[in-house]
Amino acid sequence: MTTLLEGPATRALPAPDEKSASALGQGIKIVLLGLVVAIAVWAAFPLVQAEYWAGLGLLVAATAGLLYLYLTPRHVPAKYLVPGTIFLVVFQIFPVLYTASTAFTNFGDGHRGSKAEAITAIQTASVTRVPGSTEYQLKIITKGDALAFLITDPKSGQVSIGDATGLKPVGENPPTGWTVLTAGQASARSREITDFAVPTSTGAIRSSGLSRAYEGKAVRAFDPASDSIRDTATGKVWKADDAIGAFVAEDGDRLAQGWKVGVGLANFTRVITDDTIASSFLGTLIWDFVFAIGSTGGTFLLGMCCAIALQSTRMRFRGLYRILMVLPYAMPSFAMLLVWRDMFNTDFGLINNVLGIHVDWLGTPITAQLAVLLVQLWLGYPYMFLVTTGALQAIPAELTDATKVDGAGPFQAFRAIKLPLLLVALTPLLISSFAFNFNNFNAIYLTTEGGPFPADNPNAGATDLLITYTYRLAFGGSGAQYGFAAAISIFIFLIVAVVSTVSFRRTRAQEEVYS
Amino acid sequence: MRIRTAGVIAASLLCLVGAAACGDSTETPSSTPSADKAGGELVIWADDKRSAALKPFADKFGQENGVTVKIQAISKDQQTTFLTASQQGSGPDVMVGAHDWIGNLVQNGAIDPVQLTDAQKTGLQAGALKAVTFNGQTYGVPYATENLGLIRNTELAPAAPATMEDLVAQGKKLVAAKKASEILCLQSGPTGDAYHAYPLYASAGGYLFGTTSSGDYDAKDLGVGKPGSVAAFEKLRSLGEKGDGALKRSITPDNAVATFTGKKCAFLVSGPWATADAKKAGIAYDISAVPPFAGGKEATPFLGVQTFYVAAKGKSKALAQEFVTNYVTTPELAVALYQADPRPPALTTALDQVKATDPDVAKWADAGKNALPLPAIPEMAAIWEPFGKAEAAVIGGADAKATVDAAAKTISAAITK
Amino acid sequence: MKWFRDTGWRHLVAVLAVIFSLGPILFVLSAALNPLGTLSSSTLVPSGASLDNFTRLLSGTSFPHWFLNSVMIAGLASLTSIFLSALAAFAFSRRRFTGRRTGLLFLLLIQMFPQFLAVVALFLIFSEITDLWPGIGFNTWWGMILLYLGGALGVNTWLMKGFFDTVPKELDESATVDGASHTGIFFRILLPLVSPIIAVAGLLAFIGTINEFLLANLFLRDGASKTLAVGLYGLVQGSDRNTNFGMFCAGTLLTAIPTVGVFLYLQRYIVEGLSAGAVKG
Repeated sequence: MTTLLEGPATRALPAPDEKSASALGQGIKIVLLGLVVAIAVWAAFPLVQAEYWAGLGLLVAATAGLLYLYLTPRHVPAKYLVPGTIFLVVFQIFPVLYTASTAFTNFGDGHRGSKAEAITAIQTASVTRVPGSTEYQLKIITKGDALAFLITDPKSGQVSIGDATGLKPVGENPPTGWTVLTAGQASARSREITDFAVPTSTGAIRSSGLSRAYEGKAVRAFDPASDSIRDTATGKVWKADDAIGAFVAEDGDRLAQGWKVGVGLANFTRVITDDTIASSFLGTLIWDFVFAIGSTGGTFLLGMCCAIALQSTRMRFRGLYRILMVLPYAMPSFAMLLVWRDMFNTDFGLINNVLGIHVDWLGTPITAQLAVLLVQLWLGYPYMFLVTTGALQAIPAELTDATKVDGAGPFQAFRAIKLPLLLVALTPLLISSFAFNFNNFNAIYLTTEGGPFPADNPNAGATDLLITYTYRLAFGGSGAQYGFAAAISIFIFLIVAVVSTVSFRRTRAQEEVYS
Repeated sequence: MRIRTAGVIAASLLCLVGAAACGDSTETPSSTPSADKAGGELVIWADDKRSAALKPFADKFGQENGVTVKIQAISKDQQTTFLTASQQGSGPDVMVGAHDWIGNLVQNGAIDPVQLTDAQKTGLQAGALKAVTFNGQTYGVPYATENLGLIRNTELAPAAPATMEDLVAQGKKLVAAKKASEILCLQSGPTGDAYHAYPLYASAGGYLFGTTSSGDYDAKDLGVGKPGSVAAFEKLRSLGEKGDGALKRSITPDNAVATFTGKKCAFLVSGPWATADAKKAGIAYDISAVPPFAGGKEATPFLGVQTFYVAAKGKSKALAQEFVTNYVTTPELAVALYQADPRPPALTTALDQVKATDPDVAKWADAGKNALPLPAIPEMAAIWEPFGKAEAAVIGGADAKATVDAAAKTISAAITK
Repeated sequence: MKWFRDTGWRHLVAVLAVIFSLGPILFVLSAALNPLGTLSSSTLVPSGASLDNFTRLLSGTSFPHWFLNSVMIAGLASLTSIFLSALAAFAFSRRRFTGRRTGLLFLLLIQMFPQFLAVVALFLIFSEITDLWPGIGFNTWWGMILLYLGGALGVNTWLMKGFFDTVPKELDESATVDGASHTGIFFRILLPLVSPIIAVAGLLAFIGTINEFLLANLFLRDGASKTLAVGLYGLVQGSDRNTNFGMFCAGTLLTAIPTVGVFLYLQRYIVEGLSAGAVKG
């Protein structure tokens, strides 16, 4: 962790103006560290109240860590990295790790929760009204902490108190000593009320809202001893299968409500062995590269051209041009993607109408690919234009002036001096732009949805990226399969990671030139 | 001591965010505990339009019962968002959505059945009640129905066509006379639209899922890929770009209604939501059932039912049940929701009341009198995309048999995964 | 001819680029002015002109709320995030420590994970936060800002690190000899020198945040807490797409206003940054 600039050896006496600055800095620092503590205290109260001791411990440790870091003269890089890293860990790294971990489970529709939740859902779903039973009127009443149902039979007018022991007729309404809860009060005890059941000879009286009660019977019950669900009406038994996270009957019938279980590498082997993936993977991968490189390269070239064109200080209307060029980027991109999609319409689209042609842009593979690349160019070049403009401004003027003296033409001067500097500054950005476009879900999903699709294969379209293709496979079937999607994502991630890492290694040489 | 202003400022910014949050929350602690004691809170999720329509009623319910009712709008992916949020414990108490979500919501344990009284049940349209019944349980309270019909411009086409062939012939005549530019506006788009294609598909002899003896949809009997479906796709192909030109991939959800209201086409296959646009554009229109093919079966559309669900993992479930089973079922609310969004109410009394003032409602109900409830089984999700793409492919002139076979293969692979 | 070689071609490139940029925007403008504006209009000339859509948008929806939310969230989040990433970029560019390049690469790779999959985990985190500290949970500015700060060390750190690298190291070394601390080097020497790119990065962060839709749609559900992107998307949901399209286009145009404002404000840094910084160097 030692660095060149760190430590007493490189420290020199502060210049006079540094001194006053340091007094001010010291003051700011004390105030801010005080604020850190104040916030930690504020955040601690709810943790104590909820008895989250682990969370409290983490909070104390984090606060102490921060105080230490900014009070010690050591660990200079950490001082600069920690603030952003805190957010990164909580809102990016944790979610990514969590998601990646689902690749080893069957997490998805029908398997979202725990086994206990599945059992509750099955039992609740099986409660049916006893045929021909009375529909009661209901009030929720309390005495002390005890809760009870005050039930009125609309036909006989008979009022009864119902609790866990059964129904007891009472004379007065409300009975003495009991208070009737208002809807608001009752709602605070929602869970108690919905779980409350007054046993009767044929089932149990349950609440239906806060003003009605019905006599119902749970047809299906869980038996912990045999780890199975039994239907009391038909006698059918579904046994828990913890390998797939579902209750399965002997005849193969499966209850819809399942739970999340670990499935090991099953999702990964499925990715590798899946026929539909195997048949279209290579084509999709190649197009994905073309798309990502084409989008990044195209926007960069156009953006750079515009930035260079607007470099001259003698040029008029530069400010106006800049604003107009930035406009596409200032519009919400999802809105503009939808607008573009309609501009490409064969019969009604603006493009065909203005050009007087009749091209089925999104209907044939090549034109659809050109179309999405054009849309990408439009959406993305202002970004590159801005970045290149900033980069050109940051290049010291002396460098360019020097070449002018040498008598080199403007183009040679640009190639020899500015372009290499630009690339140093922008290569990392180009890599990250490539990575972004490689997974640019919206660009495809909001324009072509991956189409056009060959008539005999609705799975892979001509403009499908791996990510849109994954999405369709994992979420297009009968319900979302997050585990499977995470597994495919990990494969895609590996591909992009390798490409980016290799390109990144090549930037080391450039970086060191200026270090 | 050296100063490290940079780091300190960074840390402080972090704090400032927190401090501001602290300031923001100074009001919340004072209101939260009291809300816990005296007035519960009911959170309802709906899409943007319905949340606006529900607002006054939710407020009224809140006032009558001394509770706070919050209506929140989810703009996109309502079903998935609801499932994910519920599972993580931050979902609503009541969810408003289409009835075909039921299968998936049930398999995730996200909704509870509702217990309606016999009187409440008989007050609902039979089709709507059937739509929200799943595995013998009622899973929500329907409030409005919707189905496709044929809207025609009565200036261009005074008489309703009796058959699809008749419609195409009339449409062709109008196009030849330059009175219209399209024969029919039935949205497809480059990736197809299974919902809008279904009436034609059904009329030509296709079906999606068979039914079990109890009348539920049977996921094991997939109709796509059967001879009837091939014949139906053959019909779609003959109406398509290489045939009559009545069906086109360039007619999309974005332009179908606009082309009709722009008087560029005399016939529009759409639902009750399109009539607002037609009225605004001042089109003289009439509504009838989607015409069948000559000699074919009836062109039955799907019946969609807008439903109130009680979330199984909501924090105020008892209150949610009270709202859904005892408040939503009142005709006043149904009529008001109709006024915000003119779809036929699911409550028979409300429907009759509305019919008296709005002849369209009766016509929609008539066009959908034999409509089939949209299958609510989770397997239905596997149908939409492959079916739509197959439709778009045959409209573009692809071979019907090969296309349907590929779609059937994809669908059954997704179902049996 | 000399004029063309010097400045003429510049105008040619600029005009072509502007035409390319403005085409679709004119379409949006025409739909916004057209009282019967629909997504399918195939002309650039509106069939009628009125400010109907704008008035309907401003009076009939929570647009002013959305606007305020967007500007505040995007403004605060991008300011903070630029600061955080400039700090990190300084460490990555000027300091040599173990794990430096790995850290940089890691920052890039973590961005590549598909966001729609991470949504489940974010719900998990924010459900806890909302229970404990409702002031920074769902439906609040602060929750949204915190979430966006998770991405602060992403692309922008890379961008700025690249520019810090172009500033010769001799500058800091001589400053160190003169007695400047590392904070002094960062604030007084490097930041002014790279101010153009700080301004650009700030603008990019602002645009990225104000147009963010996926997460905002999930986290801001109260009508009044929504941002422009979410609110506008809700207008053209489902069957309302045609009815509200004109209003939607009007909103889209208005959304560009804060961005253009920020751009105008930052433009002088982008253009003049050079002269301001180079003198001291």
